[in-house]
Amino acid sequence: MRPKGAVEAEIVRLLKGAGSFVSGEALSKGIGVSRTAVWKHINALKKSGYNIEALTAKGYRIAPPYPFNDIEVASGITTGFVGRKVFFFERTDSTNRRAFELGLKGEGEGTAVIADAQDKGRGRIGRIWESPGNVNLYTSVILRPLIAPREAHELTFVMAIAVAETVAGFSGKRPTVKWPNDILINGKKAAGILLEMDSEPDRVHFVVGGIGVNLNMRKKDFPPAIREIATSLFEETGVEIDRASFARGLYSSMELWYKIYLDKGFQAVLEAWKGWFSSVGSTVRVTSFDRVLEGVCVGVDKDGALLVRTPSGNVERVISGDVDTTG
Amino acid sequence: MDIKDIKAIYKFLKETDITEFELEGADGKVRIKRGSVAPAREIVEGEAHPQVGAPKGDRQEAAPEKARSENVKIVTSPMVGTFYRSPSPEAPSFVELGSIVKSAQTMCIIEAMKLMNEVESEFNGKVVSILVENGQPVEYGEPLFHIEVSK
Repeated sequence: MRPKGAVEAEIVRLLKGAGSFVSGEALSKGIGVSRTAVWKHINALKKSGYNIEALTAKGYRIAPPYPFNDIEVASGITTGFVGRKVFFFERTDSTNRRAFELGLKGEGEGTAVIADAQDKGRGRIGRIWESPGNVNLYTSVILRPLIAPREAHELTFVMAIAVAETVAGFSGKRPTVKWPNDILINGKKAAGILLEMDSEPDRVHFVVGGIGVNLNMRKKDFPPAIREIATSLFEETGVEIDRASFARGLYSSMELWYKIYLDKGFQAVLEAWKGWFSSVGSTVRVTSFDRVLEGVCVGVDKDGALLVRTPSGNVERVISGDVDTTG
Repeated sequence: MDIKDIKAIYKFLKETDITEFELEGADGKVRIKRGSVAPAREIVEGEAHPQVGAPKGDRQEAAPEKARSENVKIVTSPMVGTFYRSPSPEAPSFVELGSIVKSAQTMCIIEAMKLMNEVESEFNGKVVSILVENGQPVEYGEPLFHIEVSK
């Protein structure tokens, strides 16, 4: 049995690939379902927002604009498991919350949640992630690595590389990573990552990797408080990004780096992450809970902890906190 | 070799004391390294009263010593990180001193490098001490809470 939506996704892929009319018979043969089934799926696609023209003698033709939904993401996906199953919401409180619930119910590795808009998009420690509809990508992916909880923070670096690489590929700009996993373009935040874990003391059940990427959001639509420190790929390039294509690219990159992590270990990931990290040698201010630490960033240690040399000459090891580059 | 085999190996290893395991076959190599098993949660009779990171002031009052050795269990930190008693600075704490908690109830969050771990109680009972201040760093295996288990 095919996953729900798989036939629709395949029809969309074939119609897009043809660029003109494709007969019902050709679709029926190409996919291996009856012509009646093709007709039913075409109707379902129209209801999902696809613009499909049907002519008795010629067959079916698809035309843009394409909707943003699970079918569109599935159409042309090339991954083995990441994003192969997508739960799509027009609107939800938080994709991480949805994915976490799915994880608790036993959803498998790679299953993703996407929302067009989030009501309670979250960052670190309850902070808000601005999540308007129609413009950005908000997605969370369930991973089930066989690791101990105390190793799970390593996935932060896997996610950071995947997002940086995808942003670079779609924008043509080279982003930088702010420790541990904010993605900046020209020094402004374009994407954020938050991981949440369900575990027992010596075993991870699953980790949800939540990612928000500002793709087509306009500067005027950012709240004033973050307007000067946040950006979007559109603001940096002037080009609209197709959200479904970006999601597919992100899932491919995530799968690649997750496999590298599982096969070669964390040090291979950390070395690649360092290629995107740009704060070494900079003066930084680290704010963590009730404490502010200032000094020069001297890099990260083998666990990925941030190393900061303070004016007294001590090197402090930072496990969590907000890092601002001040010089 | 596929994920099922690896899961089977892992399951087998869990039942043994083996912490590191490597297997090479025609189709690849698998290496499994298990985290050390979490420390036992029973407070052993005569063990030093856990003062490390113990809170100051009013939180120090706790259940009578007699009950403690028999019924009091410890919730420890599964990882190195920062300890948070609430999901956000404005939100109420997950638990307070004296709170009645159930197994699988969230006790706190430990954060390491933007990975948030909601630490759950494994016991039904009453929170009789909170051993770490909000926002403070914790070590792997560090005691966080004492729970007096319900009979």
